[in-house]
Parts: sequence; structure tokens; C-alpha cells
Amino acid sequence: MAGFDVVTEADSVRRNIGVALQDAAIDPLMTGQELLRLQAVLYGLPRSEHKSRSDELLERVGLSSAGGRRVGTYSGGMRRRLDLALSLIHEPSVLFLDEPTTGLDPMSRMALWDEIRRLNGEGTTVLLTTQYLEEADQLADRVAIIDNGRIVREGAPEQLKAGVGSPTLFVRVASDQEAAASSVLARFGELRPTAEGMLGVGLGGGAGEVSSVVRALDEQGVAVDHLELSAPSLDDVFAEATGHRLEGAESPAEA
Amino acid sequence: MSAALRIRPRGARPALEQTAAMSRRAVTALVRQPSLIVPSLVFPLFFAALGTSSFGRAISIPGFPEVDSFLDFALAGSIVQGILFGSIVSATALATDIETGFFDRLLAAPTSRVSILLGRLAGAMAYGAAQTVVFVLVLLPFGLTIKGGVIALIAMMVGGLLTALAVAAVMSTMALRTGSSEAVQGSFPLLFVILFFSSAFFPRQTMDGAYRWIATLNPISYLVEGFRSLTIDSASALAVAQTVLIPAALAIGGVRLALRSLRRRVAVT
Repeated sequence: MAGFDVVTEADSVRRNIGVALQDAAIDPLMTGQELLRLQAVLYGLPRSEHKSRSDELLERVGLSSAGGRRVGTYSGGMRRRLDLALSLIHEPSVLFLDEPTTGLDPMSRMALWDEIRRLNGEGTTVLLTTQYLEEADQLADRVAIIDNGRIVREGAPEQLKAGVGSPTLFVRVASDQEAAASSVLARFGELRPTAEGMLGVGLGGGAGEVSSVVRALDEQGVAVDHLELSAPSLDDVFAEATGHRLEGAESPAEA
Repeated sequence: MSAALRIRPRGARPALEQTAAMSRRAVTALVRQPSLIVPSLVFPLFFAALGTSSFGRAISIPGFPEVDSFLDFALAGSIVQGILFGSIVSATALATDIETGFFDRLLAAPTSRVSILLGRLAGAMAYGAAQTVVFVLVLLPFGLTIKGGVIALIAMMVGGLLTALAVAAVMSTMALRTGSSEAVQGSFPLLFVILFFSSAFFPRQTMDGAYRWIATLNPISYLVEGFRSLTIDSASALAVAQTVLIPAALAIGGVRLALRSLRRRVAVT
């Protein structure tokens, strides 16, 4: 880890990594400012740097004006940003972020993404876990998909998406026509797992096959309520790799 | 990487600085939670006031020590009662750190493990000494006299501090073992029983049978009686020794237990 042995040089490892844990609460009675200074003491930063470093980090995560307030008054997004600032106090070379954006509003999430990109650009290795595959796609150079504790896919997002290959066509029909529709769709490619009430098929022949699918459905007397085409996303990689949809993943419409 | 080079190697000084920082945090937490500490200030004073108004004439019972007023007699019990209950707050805070995951956060940093415990104990000590002073100051206008004078007062502060350390250490042991703030707070009735079966509220000389026997075995009795001698008699060497050495001995045992539990907890975490 960062060139140190995790067993025999555990302390050197601790000094070179930063950890922002999803479940690790921040003491609500302390102010952001106080927590950063405590962190500075714990990491043994020279006393003269405590204030400047805390102020710099608060500014960096956009908490300058809230730094003097108790953490108990912070919103979820503010806590996550403070958490990130805390994990950066000693300029770690490897940063671990455990679901940093879970439960955040879109604005806060974007702000965190920007900060993570900037850190990465400055040379920090970031190891991030997330439930949002879109997040992984946006931020990661390399993605590993873990299913039941095992890495089932690993590689660059583009490489993984190319591995799934074909775009997915999603179709919604009346429930009594689902069986008929599936048998038609199966002719065009492999059926893919999807949300309840929807059918999904990987178009082996590419997006150009959509019109043929619609015609074939029409010939069987199947009325289509809803139709959409989706280019391969990490969601598809995940579905293909694990055989079930990710808990909390976005619906195919947004993916 | 530049930061890694700036950081000093681990040694005694960082551990001390960390303990100081953790102590500051503990004291700050107490000050910022008035709802938690007010009961441990108000109830002992309430007991003293209640005792003085109800049992004011008890001081003429044969066997009751010679005092000017019941208030003088009640002070020692109030101090020990207040500290017993006040120290739960610090131990509860330690358990809460474990529950919320703040403890894990501290472990993820190169934190001196001992500073996590010592910081909380220091907070309890500061509060114990402060409680002693507050009780004396509040009761002085109501006719309290400290016969042992300034030396007695200093001995009582030190005794209060050490009592707080002893109780907080034992309660912290429970916090570290269980990691549950409810378990720590659940010990409140137990502390109350220990206090009740001591000479905190009445002199042993006026007790009978099993009650007297238990109170005589209970170390809290001797602790309270040390404080009491300082208040109603004089700052004799024996009274000072009782007030300071009994809690010191309890504290040594308690802190050893707590350190052992800390090591176990850190190994588990």
C-alpha cells in the first residue's frame, strides 16, 4: 500500500492514506474547524500549519462560512464535504471514499465529483466505492464490479461497455401480451433482465434493427406502449455480469 | 507526498499532544451538553437541601457526629453522589463514539490509542473537580462551613478529581467492553445502590444490622467520610489521606481495567 507493508508498517500506511467512511459519523458537538484541527493533531502536522491547513481545506470543500458552526447543524451534503476535507488533512497519496455521494442531492453530488476529479488530477489515487454506476463511469479510470464479495468484472469503463457490445432495446406491452412479445424479441438477440413490466433485448445487429423489431411485434398483434433504445452502460455490464439488477441502480430510462 | 515528509515520527510528544487535544474535545463536549450535566449538579444539591430541611434535627440523634448543621454533614454525600453520576456522562460519550463510528475514524488515523481513553478520563477529572467547587460555592451562602479551611478545600478538589477518574475508568471499561451507551447508562441504578448502602446520607453510627455491615464494607463509605471529616472536623492528615488515597487506589485499579479493555477493543475493531 503506497509502497508500505500493511502489516509491519501499519503506521506509515495510515500516514499515507486518507479514509472517508460512509458510516463513520462526525462528532456533532464539534465545529468543522475544531474537527479539522483535531485531525491535524492526530496526523502530527506542525502546530503552525493547523490553522492555515484547516482554513484551506474548508475553503476547498466550500465550507468556509460554516466552519465555525457545530457539525450537528450541517446538512448531509455538508457533512460529506467535511468528511472529505478531514480525509485530506495530511495530503494522502491514496484516498479511500466509501459511497461518498450516497443520499446526496444532485448539486452536492456534482460538487463532490468535481473535487474528486481535481484531486485525481493532482496525482492522488482515489479508490471509490459506489452504488451509482453512472458515477463510476464518470469518475473512474478503472472499474471493478463486485458481486457477493467477488470481483466479477474489471477494466476501463469503455472496455467493459464494449464487452457487452450491443445496445439494449426496452419495450413495454400490456401484461397479457408479455409472453408473445418475449418470444418475438428473443429472435433478435439475448433477453436482458430489466425493470418490472419491461422487456429488454440486446440487439445483436445494432440499433438499425429497431424498425424490424417493431414490425415483427406488429405482425404478432402486440401493441407497444413504450419503446426506448439504450446504448450499453455500466448498468448493462453489471446486469450481464451478475444476472440481476443492482439494488438502487437507476432505471434504464435514465441510464 | 510532501506532507508525509513533514509529519514527525511517532513518539511520546505526539501522544501527549493528542491526549491534550482529545481532553479538550471531552471538556468541550461536556460544556456543550448542559442537559446531560445539569442533573448531576442539581440532584445532589436537591438531596442536600431536602436532607437539611427534613432531617435538620437528626443531628441531635445519639451517635450522629457533632455538626453545626445537617448541611455540613450532607456536603460530602452530595459531592460523591454528583461525581458518581457525572462520571457516567464521560463514559457514555466514549460508548457513543464507538456506536457512531467516530472511534473507527480515530483508529483510521495514526492516533495514539491511549489518548482516546485518556482524553475522556481527563474530561471526567476536570468535571469532578469543578463539581466539588460548585457544590461548595453554592452551599456556602446557606450556612455551609468548611472546618478544615483552604487545605480541606484543595484536598476535596483533588479527591473529587480522583473519584471522577476512578468512576469514569470503571464505567469506560464497560463502555469499551460493550460499545453500548445504553449499557453504560443502565449502570445508573447500580451506582445508586452502591451509594445508598454507604454512609453518604447517614452516619454509620446510626445504622443497624445488615445495612451497617454493608456500609462498613463499602469503600464509598470511607471516601465520603474523608470528605466529611474535612468539612465538619479539620484537615487532619488522616482525613486528607482518606479523601485522596482511597479514590487514588480505586483509580489505579479502574484505569488498569480500562486500558486492558481498550487493548481488547482496538484488537477487535
